[in-house]
Amino acid sequence: MNIRFETLALATVVIPEGRLDFGAAAGFQRQVEELLAAAGTASAALIIDCSALDYVSSAGLRVFLLATRAAQRAGIWFALCALTPAVREVFDLSGFSRIISVHADRATAVAQAPQAPHE
Amino acid sequence: MNERRTTVPSDPAQLPVLMQFLQEFWSAADLPPAQALTFELALEEVFMNVVMHGAPAGTALRIEVSLELTDSGLTMTVEDDGPEFNPLSLPPPDVTASLGERPVGGQGVFLVRQMMESVSYQRVGIRNQLTMTKHPSA
Repeated sequence: MNIRFETLALATVVIPEGRLDFGAAAGFQRQVEELLAAAGTASAALIIDCSALDYVSSAGLRVFLLATRAAQRAGIWFALCALTPAVREVFDLSGFSRIISVHADRATAVAQAPQAPHE
Repeated sequence: MNERRTTVPSDPAQLPVLMQFLQEFWSAADLPPAQALTFELALEEVFMNVVMHGAPAGTALRIEVSLELTDSGLTMTVEDDGPEFNPLSLPPPDVTASLGERPVGGQGVFLVRQMMESVSYQRVGIRNQLTMTKHPSA
C-alpha cells in the first residue's frame, strides 16, 4: 500500500492507496499515529481520503478505530471520506460507519472540519 | 480447473501467496472481478485467525486452502492441523456499541459470516475445517 499526504490550510489529508490488509496495517497505523501526534500544532483536522483504497480487512478497520479514539483523546477533528463501494460495504457490515465519521467526498469532509485550530 | 488447492505454513508472510493463489483461480475461471474482494477478505480473515490464534506457542501449522467452483457457487475451504477450535462459536460483536465500547478485535469472523452465503465448521480427524460458499455473481 502507498500512502500520500496533502496539507490544506487547517487539515492534513492522508490518502492510502491500494490494499489496507494485515501486511499494510502496522505501517499505516504508525503513519497515522505520527500525524496525530504532530497535528496538535500543525492542523486542527485529520481527514483520511479513501478514494484510492480498494480493500480493507479487519486489520485495517482496527487502525481506523484506534485512530478515531486517539484523535478524540487529542482533541483533533478526524474523519474519513470518499469510501469506495467495497470498503463502504465492510464499514457498513461491521457497524463502523456508525462510530467513525464518514463523509461522501473530500469537499464535504473539509467543509465539516473546524474552521479554526482547537485551542 | 474447477478445483485447486494449496498448502502453506501458518506464517503471516504467506498471506500474499494465498492472495495470488485466489486471484489466479479467479482469472482462470473468468469470474466477475468485483466479487473477488469478498473471497479475498474471507481468506485473509480466516487465514490470519489461524496464524494468530490457532498454533500453540512456538509451533507452526499447515494450512490448506481449496477452491471449488460448482453450479451452486464457489466454495472455499480452509483447513489447519491445530487444536480443535470452532471460530463460529465466538459471539458476534455488538455492532451498536459506541466508539469507546467497541472492542478492537473479533471483527474478522463476523465479517466473513456477513459476506458469505454459508459458513460452516467441522472437525475432521486432526483438522479444523471451515467451509465458505457464495455464488460469485450474487
